Amino acid sequence: MTGGDARDRRVLAVRCPAWHPPSLLARQAGQPAVPGAGPAARAFEQVVSVVQDFCPRIEVLRPGLCAFGVRGPAKYFGGEAELARKVAGAVTGLGYDCGVGIADGMFAALLASRDSREPPARIVPPGGTPAFLAPRAVTVLGEPDLADLLMRLGIRTLGEFAAVPAAEAGNRFGAPGLLAHRLARGLDPRPLATRPPAADLTVQIEFDPPVEQSERVVFAAKSMASQMHAQLAAGGLACVRVQIQVICDNGEEITRLWRHDGLLSELAVAERVRWQLDGWRPTPSPGEHDEGITVGGISLLRLVPDQLVADQGRQLGLWGDAVVSDRVARAAVRVQAMLGHDAVTQPALAGGRSPADQAVFIPFGDTAESAARPPRPAGRPWPGRIPPPAPATVYPVPRQARVTDDSGSLVEVTGRGQLSGEPARLSIGGGPPLAVTAWTGPWPVTERWWDPEHACRKARFQLVTVDGGAWLAVVQDGRWLIEASYD
Amino acid sequence: MEAAVAQVTVAPVTVAQAAVAPATVAPVSAQPIRPDEQVGQAGRDGLADLLAKGTVRSGREASAGSGALPDADLLPVLPALRDLLPHGALQRGSVVAAGNWNLLCVALAAGPVASGAWCAVAGIPELGVAAAADAGLAPARLLLVPGLGPNWAQVVISLLDGCDLVVLRPPDRPPPQARRKLEAAVRRRGAVLLVAGDWDGAQVRLRITAQEWAGIGQGHGRVRGRRAHVVADGRGGWSRSQTRWLWLPGPDGAVTAVEPALSGAAGEPALAGTAAQASTG
Repeated sequence: MTGGDARDRRVLAVRCPAWHPPSLLARQAGQPAVPGAGPAARAFEQVVSVVQDFCPRIEVLRPGLCAFGVRGPAKYFGGEAELARKVAGAVTGLGYDCGVGIADGMFAALLASRDSREPPARIVPPGGTPAFLAPRAVTVLGEPDLADLLMRLGIRTLGEFAAVPAAEAGNRFGAPGLLAHRLARGLDPRPLATRPPAADLTVQIEFDPPVEQSERVVFAAKSMASQMHAQLAAGGLACVRVQIQVICDNGEEITRLWRHDGLLSELAVAERVRWQLDGWRPTPSPGEHDEGITVGGISLLRLVPDQLVADQGRQLGLWGDAVVSDRVARAAVRVQAMLGHDAVTQPALAGGRSPADQAVFIPFGDTAESAARPPRPAGRPWPGRIPPPAPATVYPVPRQARVTDDSGSLVEVTGRGQLSGEPARLSIGGGPPLAVTAWTGPWPVTERWWDPEHACRKARFQLVTVDGGAWLAVVQDGRWLIEASYD
Repeated sequence: MEAAVAQVTVAPVTVAQAAVAPATVAPVSAQPIRPDEQVGQAGRDGLADLLAKGTVRSGREASAGSGALPDADLLPVLPALRDLLPHGALQRGSVVAAGNWNLLCVALAAGPVASGAWCAVAGIPELGVAAAADAGLAPARLLLVPGLGPNWAQVVISLLDGCDLVVLRPPDRPPPQARRKLEAAVRRRGAVLLVAGDWDGAQVRLRITAQEWAGIGQGHGRVRGRRAHVVADGRGGWSRSQTRWLWLPGPDGAVTAVEPALSGAAGEPALAGTAAQASTG
């Protein structure tokens, strides 16, 4: 085990004897106390909140027992001994008796906290955990059946149990035995699963009576945004997006997600609230929005930070080519306020055979990686793709069409790529049939045949009609569709 | 070079403003607008050509700094389209109607985007991005607003705030009042509104009057390009129609002028050309 690992495993455990552990009897009767529930848990919350001042990510094991990784806080508070003394002092200050222990791994730390009768804390030095555990009776493992068995086999201490080869322990005592063996050797059965503080980072304000003027809402949004930024900064967090919720007194609700990336100032958030209100209740004559647009009674405004991430700062691209100028960004965001986040997109080239696959549309402000379906890279060979030049018009939804031969019957393509007749007339979307002056095909394509869900067989044609249109048509399952137009 | 710059710093303002109808003049310049009758037709053409190529820039533009096309009165277009437009470029503050949506709209937008302008494409969900990229319209400076919603004029005005060029297919025919409001926004922002459709007050109108698809026959070949006969006419100093034969698109997707060598004996390519003749590109 490397030194870095060992440092990461240092754990501080706080035990308050005022909360009795569930009795052995109760556990044997199959009634384990649910950790973190009931009045005991609620009373323990005050201890947790005090301990949380030292480290925000603490794990509550059960009422009366909590722990956290010690590496960062120890550095900050001037060493493990100093940290333990301060934690013990803070909890005792609440009027609760407590024991504090620091060791490698949770199990040893809990044991250390148990016998820290000598104040203020029992600190097992790094690497000293096996020696610390060795003299203890096997009963501390908390497995009465296993402990009983080990005693009868003559293994009385953890040190003796740890001396048994791990494979033998696994063979003889099964999974629980293997787990207990790891504990006895001073290893962790599982890493410490800390959770971020469950603090609610949502900021909201209720308007009573409901306000009619959007100006007042925007003004309130400004101070709320600064409050939200302060909360996030205190937690070392940044949010990728911020959700703005406006609820009216008639129950109507308008919610929009805004790209944030830690970039929006208070003013910018307030501006987005204003845009959202404007876009939702557009003035009948655009262009004249002075203060005092009536937007209907607004009873609640809520800012919800979305997609929390650790705040690691932001690195801009070295070369400014991809930088969107402020003017463009403002215009795009403003239109997003009116029509929704997905309504303004930036296209990007992608790989694929059909024209529809060759471009993806990424909502403005998002990155290609965050798109629902990451684009396939462009510039790869894609055998069987449509030949250049690319069609200028690509229908988002292919249009129904009907291609008939001279006798008026539908042109069909066999599995071997044989045509039932030469295309003579094309009718798009039920429109009048147009004479086909030139055509080429079929170009058979079999895509993703290994994946039954997405496999498809189709044949493509290029058709030129008498009105001057040039079309990219596809036959799939006996149906003709117009995918694109070269016009 | 010194002489050229010195001449250009004064002349383009007067030339550019002189030939435009008074209603469309974007009052960008602080100098008084003075129609300069001394500049001959040849001089104008040469100057406009240089301006459009971007090899020569006015002093005002050069001093404006790093931004993309900060104050230039003209947005350069692809070389093949220069002869079709007044001053060989798109005039800021003007509305250009390009007929129904087709590659001509993309080609008109490609030049400004290639020189650093941002372009918004509004109301056209079926834009072929690959074709646009091949024609020179880089997707990186493109905003797409496929659906405009009922209040579309306001959306377009917002887009004009941010983009130098907005390609618009209006969902419905705008009432005269909304149309004038949009035109006023175009002039105020010094942008260009490129309408895929008809627009009553357009300064320049372009349309394809004849076309033929090259490279495709009866059951053989494939579409390799289109030769299109484009007609441009406009108002004021550009009332005389200009016509050109263009590859729209060419074999590699680019939009270029049809070489006279490929044209027929009468100076125009024969419309009834066979696939074999057409596929030489």
